[in-house]
Amino acid sequence: MPFDFEEVLETIKMTEIEHFDIRTVTMGINLLDCADERAETTAKKIYEKITRLGERHVANAKAVSDRYGVSIANKRVSVTPISLVGAGFSADEYILLAEALDRAATEIGVDFIAGYSALCQKGLTKGDRALIESIPRALASTKKVCSSVNVGSTKAGVNIDATNLMARAIKETARLTKDEDSIGCAKLVVFCNAVEDNPFVAGAFHGVTEPEVVLNVGISGPGVVLEAVKAAKDADFQELAEQIKKTAFKITRAGELIGRKVAELDGVPFGVVDVSLAPTPAEGDSVGDILMAMGLEDVGASGTTAALALLNDSVKKAGLMASSSVGGMSGAFIPVSEDQGMIRAAERGNLSLEKLEAMTCVCSVGLDMVAVPGDTPEETIGAIIADEAAIGMINDKTTAVRIIPAYGKKEGESVDYGGLLGEAPIMPVRRLSAKTFMRRGGRIPAPTRSLTN
Amino acid sequence: MSLSEERIREIAVRAMNELGEGASPEAVKRYVENEGASRSDAPGSGAPGSGAPGSGVPSGDRMILTCFGLNRPGVVAVLAKTLGDAGCDIQDISQKIMQDFFTMIMLVDIADAAKSFAEIQEELSRVAERERIKIYAQHEDVFTYMHRV
Repeated sequence: MPFDFEEVLETIKMTEIEHFDIRTVTMGINLLDCADERAETTAKKIYEKITRLGERHVANAKAVSDRYGVSIANKRVSVTPISLVGAGFSADEYILLAEALDRAATEIGVDFIAGYSALCQKGLTKGDRALIESIPRALASTKKVCSSVNVGSTKAGVNIDATNLMARAIKETARLTKDEDSIGCAKLVVFCNAVEDNPFVAGAFHGVTEPEVVLNVGISGPGVVLEAVKAAKDADFQELAEQIKKTAFKITRAGELIGRKVAELDGVPFGVVDVSLAPTPAEGDSVGDILMAMGLEDVGASGTTAALALLNDSVKKAGLMASSSVGGMSGAFIPVSEDQGMIRAAERGNLSLEKLEAMTCVCSVGLDMVAVPGDTPEETIGAIIADEAAIGMINDKTTAVRIIPAYGKKEGESVDYGGLLGEAPIMPVRRLSAKTFMRRGGRIPAPTRSLTN
Repeated sequence: MSLSEERIREIAVRAMNELGEGASPEAVKRYVENEGASRSDAPGSGAPGSGAPGSGVPSGDRMILTCFGLNRPGVVAVLAKTLGDAGCDIQDISQKIMQDFFTMIMLVDIADAAKSFAEIQEELSRVAERERIKIYAQHEDVFTYMHRV
């Protein structure tokens, strides 16, 4: 027998009991060649290209999942930032493109389509402005479209003008989707140092330096790592890191296998494995629980940032050893609404926005799926984005904000989306104004570390 | 962990081949410790799986079948018959019984089977339902990727 009993059972335990799954197989599609003078024609070309290339994507993913016994939670598509495809269009015309994306996604049966995006860290083009203006309506009138806008980078600094526009777009999206707990905001991310091969929504897009079409895979697996941490008992930190690495190594390998096989069936090149620990609202599939299993009384306790740093780094190291195609975000995600451990900590009042912000300095993304009171001022939302972007810019890492100013709701209430998006208690925001600060506008200059040449 | 004599010899031969004659006693010790710690003494263990990534061995069409259930006469026979009828070649079986439960792992070559991987999986899921046992039928590669470097 080429495998030990224990090895076979370990794999089955991971997939059956510990929630190890492939979070997403995301097909990235270049849409630059769909640009046309008329928005209707562009929309038609977009629809045709996505449905042609992605026609078998869902069926192929299912076939691979069955064959290897590893479930694939989501099938997704990411596309070229739409601001580029529709450059020259008005906000109303951009919405036609959003609707074409939504129809195409529904037709091929994927869970989400992402890339209703703009990259404006250095400045805003006419297209960027029109796309940002259209975001609230685009998200309110579609089901599967996800949007992201990059407002900062280590090389360019933080574009506060774009940040202010995004703060307004977030508030407006919350208002337009108020009947569904402002769900539009769950599909809208503001980035600093966005990555071009990220398979995870809402922030996925197909970067312009990517090939025509590509298949990226995002793994999950907090449940598996949680078991490894529990099994390590009272081991010291070096030993604990070792245990996490061993586990992350195995799940990365499985992720790469699944990704390569889906790419093979789709007939497209394989891109990257994103070795992120992406939690789900399922019990035990929680990054928060891992932090507690390391010995913290609750998420938010002193030590949380250190614990997360060790976790995030161990996952990266294991991923790098396991695959030569590691990319995307690759680290631990800490979306509040999608993680039982985080939800509980927020409900108990142990996890504050400020502690979350500190945690984002050492993990792979940022303030993610955080619900705040609906009356949080636009400038405060903008300032929260600016803080996160500053962390990303200075530390040369990706940071993001996916914040939900839940329309008509206040602290103590919660938003509930069901499914992978989960539910989030509304967290308090400091009632201190940043209005004058944000109204300065312009761009925070790039830091010295941008001058690496 | 106790090692069989055969296993010790195997490690020693490999250490000689890999480290050469000029190896220091410390290097040999380290090598042997690593070998001993990383592989268990289960029969047949230690052989790299076919199709290991990077090994250059083409990935074959083999399935690892894992079954769990209440032990009773004839369970193995039913499975063997199903696989045989489908033209599958059972290459290895490993089984454990703990109290009333049995766990069995089979290595099955389906390269010459009359049915496709998915069809065999379907047949097996029908057997699982009928016999009230749990069967996981997975392509060998998932184990190779996860447990072999």
